[in-house]
Amino acid sequence: MPGARFVDPKILARIGNLELLARTVVDGFINGLHRAPYFGASIDFAEHRGYVAGDDIRRVDWRLYARTDRYYIKQYEADTNANFCVILDISKSMSFGSRGVTKLEYASYLGACLAYLAHKQRDRVGIITFDSEVVSYVPPSAKHFDVLLHTLDRSKAERRGDLTKALAGMAEHFKRRTIIVMISDFYEDPSAILEAVKPLHFLGNDLIAFHVLDPAELDFGFEDASSFEDLESGEQIPVVPQSFADEYRQLIRAHIESLKTKFSEHRVDYMLASTAEPLDRALFSYLSARERLMRVR
Amino acid sequence: MSFLAPLFLIASAAIAVPIFVHLIQRERKRVVLFPSLMFVQKIPYQSVRRRRIRHWALLLMRCAALLLIVAAFARPFLKQEIAAAAAIGGTKEVVILLDHSASMGYGDHWQKAKDAAHQAVRALGNSDKATLVLFSRNAEESMRATSDRARLDVAIDNSKVDADSTRYGPALKLAESILLRSTARRRETILISDFQRAGWTGSEDVHFPDGYAVTPVSVATPDAENIAVPSVTFARAAFSGTERVTVTAGIANRGATPQADVPVSLDVEGLPIQTQHVKVGANAAASITFTQFTLDKPIVKGTVRAGTDQLPADNTFHFTVSPTAPVSLLVVEGGDRQESSLYLIKALGISTTPTFQTDVMPVVRVSPSNFEKRAAVILNDVAFPPAAANGALKQFVERGGGLLIAAGEHTTWPQGEKDLMPGTLGATVDRTAGRGATLGFIDHSHFVFEVFKAPRSGDFSAAQIYRYRRIDPAPGDRVLARFDDGAVAAAERKVGAGRVIVWASALDDSYSDLPKKPVYLPLVHQLVKYLAQFEAPHAWQTVGQVVDVQSLTKSRANWVVVTPSGKRVPQSGPLELAEQGVYDVRPAGGADAFAPQAIAVNIDPAEEDLTPVDPAELVAAVTGHAAAAPAGALPTAAEAEQIDIKEAERKQSFWWYLLVTGLLLLAAETVVSNRLSQSEKFL
Repeated sequence: MPGARFVDPKILARIGNLELLARTVVDGFINGLHRAPYFGASIDFAEHRGYVAGDDIRRVDWRLYARTDRYYIKQYEADTNANFCVILDISKSMSFGSRGVTKLEYASYLGACLAYLAHKQRDRVGIITFDSEVVSYVPPSAKHFDVLLHTLDRSKAERRGDLTKALAGMAEHFKRRTIIVMISDFYEDPSAILEAVKPLHFLGNDLIAFHVLDPAELDFGFEDASSFEDLESGEQIPVVPQSFADEYRQLIRAHIESLKTKFSEHRVDYMLASTAEPLDRALFSYLSARERLMRVR
Repeated sequence: MSFLAPLFLIASAAIAVPIFVHLIQRERKRVVLFPSLMFVQKIPYQSVRRRRIRHWALLLMRCAALLLIVAAFARPFLKQEIAAAAAIGGTKEVVILLDHSASMGYGDHWQKAKDAAHQAVRALGNSDKATLVLFSRNAEESMRATSDRARLDVAIDNSKVDADSTRYGPALKLAESILLRSTARRRETILISDFQRAGWTGSEDVHFPDGYAVTPVSVATPDAENIAVPSVTFARAAFSGTERVTVTAGIANRGATPQADVPVSLDVEGLPIQTQHVKVGANAAASITFTQFTLDKPIVKGTVRAGTDQLPADNTFHFTVSPTAPVSLLVVEGGDRQESSLYLIKALGISTTPTFQTDVMPVVRVSPSNFEKRAAVILNDVAFPPAAANGALKQFVERGGGLLIAAGEHTTWPQGEKDLMPGTLGATVDRTAGRGATLGFIDHSHFVFEVFKAPRSGDFSAAQIYRYRRIDPAPGDRVLARFDDGAVAAAERKVGAGRVIVWASALDDSYSDLPKKPVYLPLVHQLVKYLAQFEAPHAWQTVGQVVDVQSLTKSRANWVVVTPSGKRVPQSGPLELAEQGVYDVRPAGGADAFAPQAIAVNIDPAEEDLTPVDPAELVAAVTGHAAAAPAGALPTAAEAEQIDIKEAERKQSFWWYLLVTGLLLLAAETVVSNRLSQSEKFL
């Protein structure tokens, strides 16, 4: 895939500018998609409707008026734009990274790339960061792409997280139908996560959950006997990884499967993103999911 | 059970280490930051407390290994075994080697040595046995193995310093043989000496078996000062029919302090001749020359004395000097040729040590009386002298005379005198056709040719022999040289006390060009000196040397030797010179037929050098390990007991087993703990 070399998370980590990063990833990604069905969709003509008082007369289709002697207004797909909002988990556990890129950095790149995609489609973009509560809120707006990038840039994973508590009052922020991209490591009980996420889904919002995990969290490839310290609670437990790894891997797999099942049951797109994987894979998963949903609608 | 180094047991507190590791070190493990322990907490695990209880055996294993290693370092031993060993045949065999060489006369060395010997006797147990060995150059048992301390003390008190030099080898070998014969469990040699370096060359083949202890006791004085007279030289001059001698004495300063004014005196026949003063630098030597004196007696005794110090023995140097006596020779020639003995006479005439008094006589004029008082007779290419027949010449040789037969064309030998001729005289071999014969084999081990042994010390191959007489030696004859064709060139036969050599060619230039070669002169001198049995008179001898009185006096009469200490000893054979001073050798019974002789004896110059060898070095060379106690003092009773304990511990060597067991336990602990940790989920 041309441009694929640009989407390695480790290489992207060297790019300080998130907008440049997002453009690099997305443009490269889009250029690589041959005859993508989504290209230019947002500026295509949608339909005509009858003129009503107050409409801008510049949008009257004069050619149709000449043929029909009635005033019609041209409506474009752009007019159908939705809100796009990234909900980013910045709890302390997101600061973990075993291969040069932390989960928060990876999540930031992912959020920036998705926001860039949405911004190019004239969607209004916004962001909410949270740990145990909402840390920052940027309402969706066509002009907020830069603010979103800035918010991503200054996000620091410093405090203990509480996903259910943070999501509790978040639904009230979404007055319009919104595409919500939620990026987190989801270290909560899957049932509790679903309970917290449900309100976001009620308003007809499209919810996409990115489960960002480091490879070390997936395969538990530690060798030396060590004391493992919880990044958020500070609790330490001595562990012999060689004898422990298999059981751990079973548990994490069960957790992922549980999340996947429960999200699927509630029509929430779930995607597991390893920080070792290139970003375009996550983007491709996202767009595939969007396409699938469009067909359903 | 006791411990040789109990302080090491303090280290048993290290047993707390594994417990400490179990309890506390857990917190110091490497910490890995992990996003969430949500799943780790879900996995059931055993608590630390429960795990420790389950691996109590592992903890015990670690503690036991530590305790065993600590106990090994504390060097345990069984005291009962020492007591039992002492009770049943646990006696000690001790050999006290007491150095009584001349150097022990320095200052209070001898008194200190005797005190040390007494102390060694006092340290003996009731059932212990000791042997007192006095040694200098040789060693002898002064008191055989005994438990009687009083007898040992008396033997020590009765011992005296002698004049001989120091040699440790014989003494240590004697001690080894004594200890080897012993059945005692513990065997020890106590070496009391001033440890002169000159007495130990390092090449002595003395190696004590394992378990034999050597305790050195040094009585040496650090930086000892010593003035000595190591030698004298003589310069002779003839004056008015007599000889005058000038004595030059060497003075050695064996100390680190320069000596500015050392008085040196010369006495001759008990009368002082001259006293001078000399300056000698530190560790240096100087010489001093005295006024000459006349040799007015057959033997003149002299003494040089230099300075006064703590070792007076080497401050005195005795010597004897006699007027030069020429060796009397009779050369018998044919008389029909002019100057047939020219080369021979000329060669003998230019010798100085000794000088030869040569009489040349035609064979027809020789009578048996001409052989009297001759040291050697040379038959120079002549027929057998008629006057020498009927055993006259044979008697001369049997009494100690020498006979040289130069076999030329005129030489004949009667059958009746064949006992004198080394071999059978044959026909003349003519080698004039070619380049002549050369000497192809020379017996350099013989006195005559010994001086030509070194390279470039005489080239016999340059001499060409044109004719020679064939000689077939008898089985008992010794061939001294052969021509290049294998024919005998020179052969020797010993007849009675005398010697006969036949030279297969003439000694003039009629048969060879040998007289014109450089080797001719030393060859003739060597032949004559050997046949005349000439020995240069020794002005002095060294203590310990053996002198044959018969050889010295050149007679078989009975003699009485008066030692320097005044003892009269009838002696006619070998005499060991054990005292420093002048021995007088007089004819027994006051016979005046033989002139009395005198032998000056001095101590070995090596005894003057008091530089000590490190006793530990000597002990290490003998035993293969370092001395048990530092040199200088014998161990006290308590120290001796401590040495016994050390020896017992060394023999029991429990530490070795403990250490190995401890290490094996540690290895097992490693295996067990690795297996346990692999099966554990948590530390």
